[in-house]
Amino acid sequence: MQVEKFYYDNKIVRNFAYATVIWGAVGMLVGLWVALQLVFPTMLNITQYFSFGRLRPLHTNAVIFAFVGNGLFMGVYYSLQRLCKARMFSDKLSYIHFWGWQLIIVAAAITLPLGLSNGAEYAELIWPIDLAITVIWVIFGWNMFGTIIKRREKHLYVAIWFYIATFVTVAVLHLVRSGELPYTWLKSYSFYSGVQDALVQWWYGHNAVAFFLTTPYLGLMYYFMPKAANRPVYSYRLSIIHFWALIFLYIWAGPHHLLYTALPNWAQSLGVVFSFMLIFPSWGGMINGLLTLRGAWDRVRDDVILKFMVVAVTAYGMATFEGPMLSLKSVSAVAHYTDWIVAHVHIGALGWNGMLTFGVLYWLLPRIFRTELYSKKIANWHFWLGTLGILFWAIPMYWAGFTQSSMWKQFTEAGQLKYTFLETVTYLRPFYAMRSLGGTLYLVGVVFMIYNLYKTVRAGKLVANEEAEAAPLQKEYVKHEGEHWHRWIERRPVQFMILSLVVILIGGLIELVPTFLIKSNVPTITSVKPYTPLELEGRDIYVREGCYVCHSQMIRPFRSETERYGEYSKAGEFIYDHPFQWGSKRTGPDLAREGVGILKKTNGWHFRHFREPSSISQGSVMPGYPSLLETDLDISNTEAKINAMRTLGVPYEKGYEKQAVDDLVKQSKEIAENLANDPQPIKVSPKKEVIALIAYIQRLGVDISKNKTATTNK
Amino acid sequence: MYKFIKQYAETMTNANIYPMISLFIFFLFFIVLLVLVKKMKKERVTELSNIPFEKDELTNSTL
Repeated sequence: MQVEKFYYDNKIVRNFAYATVIWGAVGMLVGLWVALQLVFPTMLNITQYFSFGRLRPLHTNAVIFAFVGNGLFMGVYYSLQRLCKARMFSDKLSYIHFWGWQLIIVAAAITLPLGLSNGAEYAELIWPIDLAITVIWVIFGWNMFGTIIKRREKHLYVAIWFYIATFVTVAVLHLVRSGELPYTWLKSYSFYSGVQDALVQWWYGHNAVAFFLTTPYLGLMYYFMPKAANRPVYSYRLSIIHFWALIFLYIWAGPHHLLYTALPNWAQSLGVVFSFMLIFPSWGGMINGLLTLRGAWDRVRDDVILKFMVVAVTAYGMATFEGPMLSLKSVSAVAHYTDWIVAHVHIGALGWNGMLTFGVLYWLLPRIFRTELYSKKIANWHFWLGTLGILFWAIPMYWAGFTQSSMWKQFTEAGQLKYTFLETVTYLRPFYAMRSLGGTLYLVGVVFMIYNLYKTVRAGKLVANEEAEAAPLQKEYVKHEGEHWHRWIERRPVQFMILSLVVILIGGLIELVPTFLIKSNVPTITSVKPYTPLELEGRDIYVREGCYVCHSQMIRPFRSETERYGEYSKAGEFIYDHPFQWGSKRTGPDLAREGVGILKKTNGWHFRHFREPSSISQGSVMPGYPSLLETDLDISNTEAKINAMRTLGVPYEKGYEKQAVDDLVKQSKEIAENLANDPQPIKVSPKKEVIALIAYIQRLGVDISKNKTATTNK
Repeated sequence: MYKFIKQYAETMTNANIYPMISLFIFFLFFIVLLVLVKKMKKERVTELSNIPFEKDELTNSTL
């Protein structure tokens, strides 16, 4: 048969490669900055735009969507063309995809420091950006499927299955998580509230890890590792099992982020079981990756690219062993809310995603620039700095997490909590300093890489359109005798996508639908009432400042927690919380009962604490919020907010929006008067933002305690 | 249709059975998957796993 000549588009690969390098450095630099903010909280808290609560989401979003996102597109655009023996479907779509994605990143980098946030981890971006992500993601899928359909290789190699699953699942996750009701051009409230919002969040959050950070990178592993080692994947059979088992099991695992919370117990158990089973496909994949190097281990000593890949796959193995273990309820009881989790995710991000991206960059850029890598020696330095950086990063954090948890749970012989929360915070500061050292090492390695790649690119010339030849596909496929079923599906990309969709939807639906519909899952508590307009405004400030990054609002049913914070949290308490603010980390204490019981403080205490936390809690790592004391509360949207909340099912009476601002002004005057009557009088205008935030904080936990009083009175 | 599902779902009491059913379905799915994968012919497997490589590119393949 006549062979056809065609050209691979290397320019788009180069663009995504540059983007992953640049955004990677930016994302890691922000990470280092926030790590240092915990070591030097006062000195590095220079402006409200760069406070920890606003920058930490910028760090996570930059690393996930900008560094790994561009990295996966780089790998997909390079390998997909070669595996399909075809140029990308449309240069125009590639172009729109590239620039659209970069614009989204820039928009995120501007809006997050401005405090425009949805208040859901890894889904902080505001609704217009969510919309843009949807459009660009569809363009990516269109371009990918266009390429697959015009391919010259009949069978879809395993890497492509992972790309298809990534596309379809991320689309579903993004659409469900972005369910929100806009009330202005920039702001919205989540459709879901409380327990349901939490379940959607962690179904999304965990699967963002699964289908944005893992499956596309497994696709890259299945392509680039055999290429770098110059030998085929260890077991193609294992890769079939790996793929189907992984995508089916992953989608169920989300609830392990919510163990011992107010989530219905059956959903927690489901999450535990499937998370534990995940170890099997994950390790199957890791073994498949490592054994691809069978007979080539001697080369790992000399070949720096293989070194990066081996560390990446090993880190994948460690993280996916640790993940199922952390999902066991007894382990989660210790690890949840601590730095242990932070260490766990960084094994994944720095080890698996980081090292694999670097390996692919070192392999791919010299090839598309038709040159050799500038310096293997510098690449080796990068490798060691990166590897040691991961160790210096993770070990102090594992230690910190374990120590923190033990200190939280320790009682004296008299039966009282041994440590105050603040004591655990100050104890951890040296660990935070050591972690910053690890991060610095890793970042220096990246700087070495940037120099090395810059010199490489300068020495070569981009082959923008790389010539290739292949025979076109036969119109009528001649079926082999005794053909295997999987070969049938491998020839049919659309059916493949539908089957993947069905597989992931089963898990998603079974978990989400009953929680949404079965009323007994979220028992209502009659004393729980909607927030007052001032409290609602205060809550929005809480979301804007990213308080959930360091403070949880979810007390687990352990004696060590109920002694410290008060009664454990119930599902019915959160029914008006759009979005939920349970948090996932306690750098600071839990705030669910901050307005009642042993934790109740005066308005004056809160005012002084917001102005300068360390003046009240010596050694606190919380940044001060002096801007809240100076900025007037924006009440121009209060009416719209009440209307939006009512649409979402919060029972504000009809017409209440007209009265809302009056009520708000009245309540803020009361708080300002109370502050003026403080033993150390505070003169502050009732219009300031801090008043609203104090109102919200003082409301936390109040409703359920009323319920208790009512019951006792009976 | 949605109303029907909603009404049914709101009143169902034994939601635990659904995860069990799906677990069972996929247990079967994986058993079948394992058997079928086991039955794949070696030559086909070799051919598929060589897709990333150009002809003659593999210099030291063990296969």
